[in-house]
Amino acid sequence: MIQLVEVTKQFDGKRQVTALDHVSLHIPKGQMVSIIGASGSGKSTLLNLVGGLDKPTRGTIALDGEKLNEVSDDDLTRVRRDKIGFIFQFFNLLPTLSCLENVSLPLHLRGWTRKKCEARARELLDLVQLGKRLEHLPEELSGGERQRVAIARALSVYPPVLLADEPTGNLDSSTGEEILRLIRDLHQRLNATVVIVTHDRNVAESCERTIRLRDGRIVEDTLR
Amino acid sequence: MNAGKQGNILILAVDMTGDRSLREYDIEEGEEAVVDDPLVFLAQPDSIIVTRDYASQNGIVSGGKITFETMQGRKDFTVRGIMKAGGLASAFGGNLAIMDIYAAQHVFGRGRMFDRIDLTLKPNVTLDQGTAGIMKVVGPGYTVGSPSQRGKQFESIIQIFSVGATLNSLFAMLIGLFIIYNTFSIAVAQRRSEIGILRSLGASRGQIRGLFLLESFLLGLTGSIIGIAFGLLLARGMASYIGGYIGEIYGLAERTQEISASPLTIGLALLLGVVTSMLAAWIPARDASQVDPVKALHKGAYEVFSEQENRTRLIAALGFAAVSLVCFLSGGVRGPRLYAGYLSMVLAAVLLTPSFVRWLVMLLRPLFRELLPVEGALAADSLMQSPRRTSATVAAVMLSLSLVVGLGGVADASYTSILDWTTAVINPDLFVGTSDQIAERSFRFPAALGEEIGKMDVVDELQTVRTIRFDYRGDPIMLVATSIESLSRRVKPKVIAGDLATMYAQAAAGRGVILADNLALQQRLKLGDIMEIPSPSGILKLKVLGITVDYSDQKGAVMMDRGLFVANWKDDSANLFRVYLKKGVTPEEGKRRILERFGTQTKLFVMTNQQLRNYIIKVTDQWFGLTYMQVFVAVLVAILGIVNSLTVSITDRRRELAVVRAVGGLRRQVRQAIWMEAAGIGAVSLMLGLALGGVFLYYYLGIIREEIAGIRLEYVYPVKMALTLIPVMLGVALLSALGPAESAVRASLVEALEYE
Repeated sequence: MIQLVEVTKQFDGKRQVTALDHVSLHIPKGQMVSIIGASGSGKSTLLNLVGGLDKPTRGTIALDGEKLNEVSDDDLTRVRRDKIGFIFQFFNLLPTLSCLENVSLPLHLRGWTRKKCEARARELLDLVQLGKRLEHLPEELSGGERQRVAIARALSVYPPVLLADEPTGNLDSSTGEEILRLIRDLHQRLNATVVIVTHDRNVAESCERTIRLRDGRIVEDTLR
Repeated sequence: MNAGKQGNILILAVDMTGDRSLREYDIEEGEEAVVDDPLVFLAQPDSIIVTRDYASQNGIVSGGKITFETMQGRKDFTVRGIMKAGGLASAFGGNLAIMDIYAAQHVFGRGRMFDRIDLTLKPNVTLDQGTAGIMKVVGPGYTVGSPSQRGKQFESIIQIFSVGATLNSLFAMLIGLFIIYNTFSIAVAQRRSEIGILRSLGASRGQIRGLFLLESFLLGLTGSIIGIAFGLLLARGMASYIGGYIGEIYGLAERTQEISASPLTIGLALLLGVVTSMLAAWIPARDASQVDPVKALHKGAYEVFSEQENRTRLIAALGFAAVSLVCFLSGGVRGPRLYAGYLSMVLAAVLLTPSFVRWLVMLLRPLFRELLPVEGALAADSLMQSPRRTSATVAAVMLSLSLVVGLGGVADASYTSILDWTTAVINPDLFVGTSDQIAERSFRFPAALGEEIGKMDVVDELQTVRTIRFDYRGDPIMLVATSIESLSRRVKPKVIAGDLATMYAQAAAGRGVILADNLALQQRLKLGDIMEIPSPSGILKLKVLGITVDYSDQKGAVMMDRGLFVANWKDDSANLFRVYLKKGVTPEEGKRRILERFGTQTKLFVMTNQQLRNYIIKVTDQWFGLTYMQVFVAVLVAILGIVNSLTVSITDRRRELAVVRAVGGLRRQVRQAIWMEAAGIGAVSLMLGLALGGVFLYYYLGIIREEIAGIRLEYVYPVKMALTLIPVMLGVALLSALGPAESAVRASLVEALEYE
């Protein structure tokens, strides 16, 4: 499903920084993987590259056989839109849009009709137990509720890949557990490939596979 | 005088034997004997002295020849001296020549007439004493005054430009204020995290505010210095433009090359620029000082007006609106109440802009969403979530547009009124004048010439016209003397007061005068009033028999019968003949016949009706050329304002736009959201600007009618101009969005999302 071959990512500045150094990795379809490591180890960079938010300096990244480093910006956007769902640490909901509008956003961007978008958004908000908060703005929700809206948005197109960057990092522990349960539940129901970047050992251990990064290299790859 | 290829020049003909005690002729080049001894100059009547500027521009050297059109045909003059630049040589823009008075009277057919007598008073006589004494001797038909009083007359002529320039400057300041405000808002938005760091390191609110105010001071100072330099250049261009206009209307050869800008004026401009800049930066500086260090280190905090701020603003707006309404309802059609009403209305409109913007964007949102669901909603929301930023841009563009609509309305109304007037009054087939410049009055025809032209077989009727200017309550008023009896058969002007047939009959009998409406309004004269007109025979007390629409002169015209004029001024000469041709004779044929018959013996210019109409349109165009410049300024303001606003918007919403792209928004879609935002600013500014422009027009017509020109123009909203502005401003808005949109879609997604 996800294939990285000799991927290197360097950032140019006054001093060149190598965030990922010749990383090769294969994540099969339906696997739930956690990526751990200290700050600056390259885990978020890895997630950005897999999610098509950034391009590698060297090496190839393929998603369902499609090489992300070779496609145009618009094609990369289409990959993100059709195949990837993002869950961010700080939720990244649009503050002026209601829950329903936030979840509909990727569908509207796909060109779906309003009726169809709203039907799918309602279904997903019901799934994350926010069916009664459709017209609420993000600022009217708690942290956990916001993250559930973000998850509903990530799932809006039923993407085969779900990428989560510290999904529980901004939540208290009980809400964090609740969110993690939800992700796991969705993973089982939708059979999506899930990649979670985390600092949290519990979150990492709840995944069937854990990859540890240090200084831009994979130093440990544990399959449970 | 028409000086052949060299253009027009004013000839100052003086008595060379006595004039040296009055004026200093600073000759830099010339025959010494001529310069030192006036008698040598006198002995050679073809002698002339020109200015250094005129000589340089026309390649004239001392001893060279210069040709003038005179009453005796083309005649060569010998340049006996060249005056140094400055002093007298700078009068009339340097287009000045000195001749002996007696030689000039001869070659220019002026008989024994003088235009004016210059004299110096004895050292112990005051100006008032001297003026009173001389007036007693010469009588009321003459104007006695000092050079500074003549300057005041000129000032009165250019008052209309001065009022216009003051209004424009006021608006430029207001618009500049909004643009600076937005620029500082950008600085605060972009440096939010920097402010957060400084605050968390212990910088006080006062220090942060001081930092931005100091920046605004330095920027204001730099901008003002550059602005003053550009302003001086612009002033030169404007002075030349206005000089050209005055030249066309008043026949003065005014060519401005030097701009007088006193250190006080420059200092004031500098101070004003710096104060405006600091005032505009005050709110962004205050906002910066109130940034919460914790929030500043994160993103996504949106600016909103506090309830208190909203309430204060609305109360102030309603207060100004009430003042404006009171001024309007209490009959404030002139004077301080007119201006107070106008300014209060402007301030009320500016203060209400955030509320109007909110309501209008809320109305636009469903339409935007209908067009493009995501992009439209994002665009409308962005405009609503930053009311201060959006309102500042909208206010600047709105003010600029309303100025354009107001001035455009005045231009439209003027064109309509002037065209109506020319159709009713300017109806002779030909005009025979002494110069190709219709306003030129220094040259005159003998009355006999009119009689001879009138007898020609192609001429049906001829009206002899004599115009002079006289001082009336400090204003240079034009007196037009012609045969009222003939006029009554040919000219049917629009009557404001009185009955046309009665006023013509009584004026023809010499029982009074007919006034132009603009004169009546400016001087507050009405039907039946007695007007005192100074003549060489004494003060004439003449009844106002009627008031008609007449745009002959900016300061207004008084019309009297020629018989009354000749009897009191003892002068039967003419400036102009209005010629009506017999049926079947074309204007071209009539012109040719008159020139064939009289062109060789007398210098005369024949203008057809169409040529005169074209001239009037040209002069009107010149006057309203300033309006077109204003349109340019409006477009520039819109570009600057919208680019500024979008830059702040994109900076503020960097993460939001990145989220849209991360969840599948194509670059095209993000671009479209930003274009729609720009179109939203353009559309709201247009709606408000076009509406406010309609109100401005009402006030401008009032100011023109009651305060500066006395011209009664009908209120007609300039629909054509408004319709032109819609695509122009929307196009400008979209154009302004191109750069910011590109910068938004090319920004790094990872950085914007702040993953690390």
